[in-house]
Amino acid sequence: MSSGNGGGRRTVDTEINLIPMIDLLVCIVSFLLITAVWSQMARVNADAQVPGPPDPDKELDPTPPEKMLHVEMRDEEKFTLIWKQGATVVNTIDVPRKAVDVSGSEGVVRFPDLATKIAEEWKLNGSHRDASDKKLDQAVLHTDNRTPFREVIAVIDAIYTPKRELAGANEPVPAFNVTFSVN
Amino acid sequence: MSTKSFHDQKMIAKPGRRLLHFVPLRFVQRRVQGGGQRPVDAPLNLIPMIDFLVVIAVFLLMSFSTSGEIPVDKSIRLPKAENTLDMLEAPMVAITGSQILVDGTPAGSTRAIEEANRLQRIDELFNILKSKRELWTQVHDAQRPFPGVVVLQVDRDVPALVVKSVFQTAAFAGYPNVSFMVDRLPQSGG
Repeated sequence: MSSGNGGGRRTVDTEINLIPMIDLLVCIVSFLLITAVWSQMARVNADAQVPGPPDPDKELDPTPPEKMLHVEMRDEEKFTLIWKQGATVVNTIDVPRKAVDVSGSEGVVRFPDLATKIAEEWKLNGSHRDASDKKLDQAVLHTDNRTPFREVIAVIDAIYTPKRELAGANEPVPAFNVTFSVN
Repeated sequence: MSTKSFHDQKMIAKPGRRLLHFVPLRFVQRRVQGGGQRPVDAPLNLIPMIDFLVVIAVFLLMSFSTSGEIPVDKSIRLPKAENTLDMLEAPMVAITGSQILVDGTPAGSTRAIEEANRLQRIDELFNILKSKRELWTQVHDAQRPFPGVVVLQVDRDVPALVVKSVFQTAAFAGYPNVSFMVDRLPQSGG
């Protein structure tokens, strides 16, 4: 309670001065609004997988090549998923090429059937599914020269759909690492 | 000493407006009693205003990004994707119409590739990227490995042949980690 007459003692019910507080809040809001980035830019990764020159001092590693998922999108009717180990074909699956338009985005397509099938295939045949395994499975995209870039991105997006846990990562990471086949 | 009788003294007064009743001015009396008029000096209610400002400040601080705005050519219509990564600082290769730009500097044309209709290295782009890589290695510590990251801004209607040629040229120039810039789509949850 305020003593009223002071009497050498400081009052205990001091009021917060609201004006500087409001000034500060208005300044923060103005600064954040001016510097806000409203564009939603992001990236999708594609690794070129360029091997370095062989080291003559190192012995050649005799381990067999890993299984890779090759995604063929040259046919206009279907995608072909091919699991290969080196030059050996392990498994081949055809997926109908059904493009779904994204509502509200003109000219943007998705391939949800392909994404579902790739996720199923990774669960069945993926080599690196354990959370402690730092390596990712490799996917290679084979595309026709005339294919528009938006469809290439839609297929890469579908390949990145299956996610896995990775030790040390805060959130799930894509199960595949994607690269282009340039032939 | 009071001259009023016991009955005249109101021990319990009727509730009502008491503030500023002692001011001996008629207009003040009228205003404090109401008088059917709205007061002209209505106070601003500060508490909701501060609440509102705090909520806005918290929301903006949560969505604040230090990565800055990435320059995007207005003529490029980027494709959209759901499974994306955050942008990073790297040389930016843009394909606008038939022109190729590296950080805004012209670096060749796609016309030769389209006319030849086959995959080929773009020499001008290769030389610019190579000189950027060499500059990076001179500026930075020799122990630090070169990241080899390049971001491609490609219009969604550009044919794959051009994309593959630029991709291959970047890889040859020492940039194996290629990223494609996209517009982020909200996750569909499926």
